[in-house]
Amino acid sequence: MTEKTVTVTVDGIPHVCETGAVLGDILSRDGSLAMPCGGHGRCGKCRVRASGEISPPDEKETKLLSGAELEAGVRLACRVTVLGDCAVSIPQEKGSARIRTEGELPSFEMNPAFSRAGAAVDIGTTTLAARLYGPDGSILAEDTRLNPESAFGADVITRMEAALAGHAGEIAASVRSAVNDMIHTLTREAGLPEGSPDAAVITGNTVMLYLLTGTDTEPLTHAPFHAPRLFGETVRAAELELDSLDPEAAVYFPPCAGAFVGADMLCSLLSSDICRKSGTRLLTDIGTNGEMILKHGDKLYAASTAAGPAFEGAGISMGMGGRDGAVDRVRVTDGVIEAHVIGDAEPVGICGSGLVDAVAALLETELLDETGYLEDDPAVILDPVCLTQDDIRAVQLAKSAIHAGLRTLLVTAGADCGDVKELGVAGGFGSYLDIRNAGAIGLLPEELLPKVRVLGNAALAGASMLLLSRDLREECEAEAARVELVSLAANPTFAAEYMERMMF
Amino acid sequence: MNTELLNEISENLQRGKAKVVKELVQKALDEGLEPGAILNEGLLSGMNVIGEKFKTNEVYVPEVLVAARAMNMGVGVLKPYLAEAGVKAAGRVCIGTVQGDLHDIGKNLVKLMFEGKGLEVIDLGTDVSPDTFVQTAIDQNCQIIACSALLTTTMGVMEEVVKKAEAAGIRDKVKIMIGGAPVDDAYCKKIGADVYTPDAASAADAAVELCKALAS
Repeated sequence: MTEKTVTVTVDGIPHVCETGAVLGDILSRDGSLAMPCGGHGRCGKCRVRASGEISPPDEKETKLLSGAELEAGVRLACRVTVLGDCAVSIPQEKGSARIRTEGELPSFEMNPAFSRAGAAVDIGTTTLAARLYGPDGSILAEDTRLNPESAFGADVITRMEAALAGHAGEIAASVRSAVNDMIHTLTREAGLPEGSPDAAVITGNTVMLYLLTGTDTEPLTHAPFHAPRLFGETVRAAELELDSLDPEAAVYFPPCAGAFVGADMLCSLLSSDICRKSGTRLLTDIGTNGEMILKHGDKLYAASTAAGPAFEGAGISMGMGGRDGAVDRVRVTDGVIEAHVIGDAEPVGICGSGLVDAVAALLETELLDETGYLEDDPAVILDPVCLTQDDIRAVQLAKSAIHAGLRTLLVTAGADCGDVKELGVAGGFGSYLDIRNAGAIGLLPEELLPKVRVLGNAALAGASMLLLSRDLREECEAEAARVELVSLAANPTFAAEYMERMMF
Repeated sequence: MNTELLNEISENLQRGKAKVVKELVQKALDEGLEPGAILNEGLLSGMNVIGEKFKTNEVYVPEVLVAARAMNMGVGVLKPYLAEAGVKAAGRVCIGTVQGDLHDIGKNLVKLMFEGKGLEVIDLGTDVSPDTFVQTAIDQNCQIIACSALLTTTMGVMEEVVKKAEAAGIRDKVKIMIGGAPVDDAYCKKIGADVYTPDAASAADAAVELCKALAS
C-alpha cells in the first residue's frame, strides 16, 4: 500500500500527515500528549477519543480499555494507525500541576557567578523548576512546568531507549526549548531585557543532564551502568542553544556521583547542609527512582532504587499527577474513609500523596491485610476513585524498594536507625507526603519518623546556592568525588530487606 | 496411606512454617510413607496451591518466598530418600537474568516456582552472557534455558541467546523461555524463543509441559 496524504483533525485543528502513521507519534511530538511508557501499549495513559478511518482496537487496547470506553470511541493513541481522514480529541488535564519550588537555603557567603541576573534550573524527570536571581541574592521570579520529554516516556529508561532509537536530537531540543521558555518568562517578569541573564546553574539527575547536553546515554542503559561524564563543568550558553541567556553566559552543571546518583542529589545534599552537621544523617528523594545518600562518620554512601512510577501516579489504575480532581488526602474518621480532592473538583483519580494515605486508611479499616490482600477488590476510596489489588501490589513493590534501600545503606555503613539524627526528605512527592502514613505503610522505617525533615525542592535550592556562591562549587565537587556508590541490585542485604518490607 | 499427614505438610508449607514442615516430613518418613508421595502430595501440592493463588493475585511475592523456604527445608530432609527410591526430577532448567541487567527478584521467583513443580534448577545469577546460558545447557543437559530481563535496553540479549543456541545446534533438545516486564508473547515469537509467560507460576506450568513434550 502506498502512503497518501490525509487530514487528522486534532481538537478541531487539522494536521496533514501520511497514512500508516501512528496517532501517538503525531500527538506526542508537539507535546500535546504524554506517552508515559513510550508508546509500548503498556500503561494505558495515552487515552484519546478518535473516529474516522483508523485501525481497529488491538489486543493491548481491548485489555486496557473498558467496554464502555471502547464503545465511546476511546483509544490508546500509541496503538492507533491512521488509515485515512480522522478526528481526535485529547482529554484536557484541568488545573495547573502542583510543583514545589521552595526549599530553604542554609547560610553561606555570597559570591555570585553573574553580574546582571542568574538562573537556577532543576530538570526533574517529570517537572522543571526555575528561579531567576538578582546580584543581591534576591529571587526576581520563579516558574515551573512539566518536562516536555514526557512525550518520549515517563521514566529515564524509556527516554534513553527513545534517544538510542534516533530521537536524541528531538529530546534535547524539547527540553532546551522548555528551559528557554521558562527563562524568557522569568526575565520578562523581572522587567529585564531579553537575554540578559549572564549565568545559569542547571541541575538534574544524570540521565536528564545527558539528554539536555546531547551526551550519549548508551553506557547508562545497561550494567555496569558506568557514567563516563560526571559534569561539575561549565559550558557556554550558545553551545547549548540556550538563547534565553546571554550567548557568553557560563552554564554550570553540578557534579553527578554516578549513573543513578545525579547532580540533583548532590545539590540536595548541599542545601540540606547535612555534610556540615555532625552525626549520622540520611537524605532521600522519592520519585520513580528512590535516591538516597547516607553520611556516617566521615563517609558518604549513596544508592538508587527503582521504586517504579506508582508514587508519581503512573502504573496505578486511577493514578494521576497532583492536579485538580486528584484525591490527595485520605483519612479515617470513626471508621469511615474520608478523602480530599485538589481544587474541590469532581474526583477523577488519585495522586502519590493520596495513594499513601489511601493504603494507610485501608490498613487501618482492615479492608487490607498485612500481606497486601484486598478483601474486596477494588476498594472504593471516594467514588468513583478506587484502588485495585494490582494497585496495592504496585505500592508494595515501590514502598519496599525505598524502605529496603534506606536500611541497606545503613547496614553497609555499619550503622542502624538508632544512629540517625536526621532523615531529610527532598522532592515534590516528599513535600506532600503524610509522614505518619508513610510509616504506617512501611515506606519509611518507623524508627526514623521522628527524625524526618521535609526539604521541598532541595535540588533547586542547591542549584541556587551554586549560582550565588562560586566557592561552593568546589565543595560540591569534592563531596561528589567521595561518594561511595552502593549497588543494591546485587546486594544480598537489599534482596532480603526488599522481601521483608513488602508486607505491611 | 496417611493422607492427613500429607495435607498437614501441604498446609503448613502454604503458611510458610518451615520448621514444622521439616518435622512433619521426617514424621512421614518414620511412618514409612513413600518419599515420592511426600514430595508430590505434600510439598509440591502445597506449593501448587501457592502458585495458583499467586496467579490470581491472592498472595504476593513474600508469601511465595516463605512457602518456598519451607518447601526447600522439607526437600532437604527428603533428598537422600528420593535418590534411594530413584525419584527423578521432572526436568532440568538453567535460569538467569541476561547480560547488562542486574535485576534478580523476578528471576528468583520463577526459580522458586520451578522448584515447586519438582524441576531441578541451575541458577546462573544476573548479568549472564548468551554463551554462559548455552554452554550450561549443553554441559548440564538442560531441557530449558530461561532468560529474564527487566530493562527494555537489555531484553535484546534474549535474541542473542536464541541465535547462540541455534549456532550450537541444540534447538531440537533445548527450549528457550523468556520473561520479565518489558517482554511479551509477540516479542517471544519475533526473536524465535519458545515460550513467554506473564507470571512466575504460569512459567512453571509451561516448563513442566515443555519437559514432558521433550521426554515423549
